[in-house]
Amino acid sequence: MSAIKPNIVQKVEPVNSPPAGLDGFYRRTHFWGRLTLWSAIILTLLLPMYLSFGLGHHPGWSVILAGFTAYAGIVAVVWVLEPMMYFPILGASGTYISFLTGNVGNMCLPSAAAAQHAVGAEPGTEKGEIVATLAIGAASLVNKVFLILIILGGSVLISMIPQNIQQVLPLVLPAIFGGVLAQFAMKKPIYGVIALALGFMINLTALPVYFKMLFCIGLTIAVCLYLEKKRGAAEA
Amino acid sequence: MQLASSWHIWIFALFVLAIVIFQAVKFISLAKGAGTEIGMTKKEINSALKTGAIAAIGPSFAIVIVAISLIPLLGDPLTLLRIGVIGSAPVESVGASLGAGAYGTELGSSGFNMEAFTAVVWTLCLGGSGWLIFAALATKSMSKLEAKATEKSEKNKRIMGIITTAAMVAAFGNLASAEMVKGFSYIVAVLVASATMVILTALGNKYKKNWLREWSLGIAILASLVVGYFTI
Repeated sequence: MSAIKPNIVQKVEPVNSPPAGLDGFYRRTHFWGRLTLWSAIILTLLLPMYLSFGLGHHPGWSVILAGFTAYAGIVAVVWVLEPMMYFPILGASGTYISFLTGNVGNMCLPSAAAAQHAVGAEPGTEKGEIVATLAIGAASLVNKVFLILIILGGSVLISMIPQNIQQVLPLVLPAIFGGVLAQFAMKKPIYGVIALALGFMINLTALPVYFKMLFCIGLTIAVCLYLEKKRGAAEA
Repeated sequence: MQLASSWHIWIFALFVLAIVIFQAVKFISLAKGAGTEIGMTKKEINSALKTGAIAAIGPSFAIVIVAISLIPLLGDPLTLLRIGVIGSAPVESVGASLGAGAYGTELGSSGFNMEAFTAVVWTLCLGGSGWLIFAALATKSMSKLEAKATEKSEKNKRIMGIITTAAMVAAFGNLASAEMVKGFSYIVAVLVASATMVILTALGNKYKKNWLREWSLGIAILASLVVGYFTI
């Protein structure tokens, strides 16, 4: 039943509300986003239930609770902070894909940024959000292909890569971040300088990783808004 | 241990992976439709898809290399399931050792039996659900909040644009700085990739070559790895 509903909506909509723009897109996004996320949640929780009670390997609730609270102590803040601080960048559709497929900062964001750059779409616009959704969707698929190949081909493939090449792999991340930052710095040099300067100062402190990100985003937005306001006042 | 690679877990892992793949395909088709509606050309849509895919090659490679380290500890199917949805290898390995610790044993030790494995699965699956549950519950409200903030005036829309761009630049400024404080070769990697990017973008704009813009991040990563190789 649920699979039929959105199709009807899809067909009726363009006739009923052509000027509504992306309303239909957003409605369908929320529907499919929630459906896929809840299905994944239910399935991933059914697995431990099945191991515990279907196959009879239950380790005891106190063990589960102890493991979970220890883990949650580290990641619980991030559950809430990450989706919130990336939302202005990813939009609703980007959030649904990114937080299901994972690797938000190191894969989804760079892919979205690179695609917006290639197509010439501004972040925060409708076009920007759609380009980001297309890019993150494609990135998610590429990522799963890699993952499946590795699981199937196993560690054999990896052991074939020479040791000295494996050594440079930690440099993939700084390379991605530097490249994407340069893309933005060309368009908005001042933003780039502010972000990098704040980033450096924040990273020399001993704050937890997620607070560093939160502070950097919050402070950069504040400084950029202030500068734009000043410039707007000067122009007017 | 046989449980870790039994068909029971494979079935769950494959179903979850199928959901992730279905979602990506579904959202791409939704975005294609919406893109056409707002007047994007077919070429632009394909360019967005292609650039996203190319940009994901480098990170995916790095991600699966790290994920390999989980296979001996968690087995093939559970690694597939945990890396396939939210969750990165370093975080999952912390969760796994906490789960094993709660049972009173260690990953890979002789005391790591089926109950300990189940404790690890509970820890990882409950812990990973946090992101999914929050995203499933809060995304619609965040959308509404954003729509409310932008609907009032052109000025609010412009401010939202500044906020989005600033947030994006800040995210990468912070990520790049966090890498650069790790050492000399990391600084070199950031600088080489930035310089390559600037040159490629300038060339792409000058000669109007779209493929250059689509491949620029991939080429920048490669250039930076080649130069970085000599600094390690």
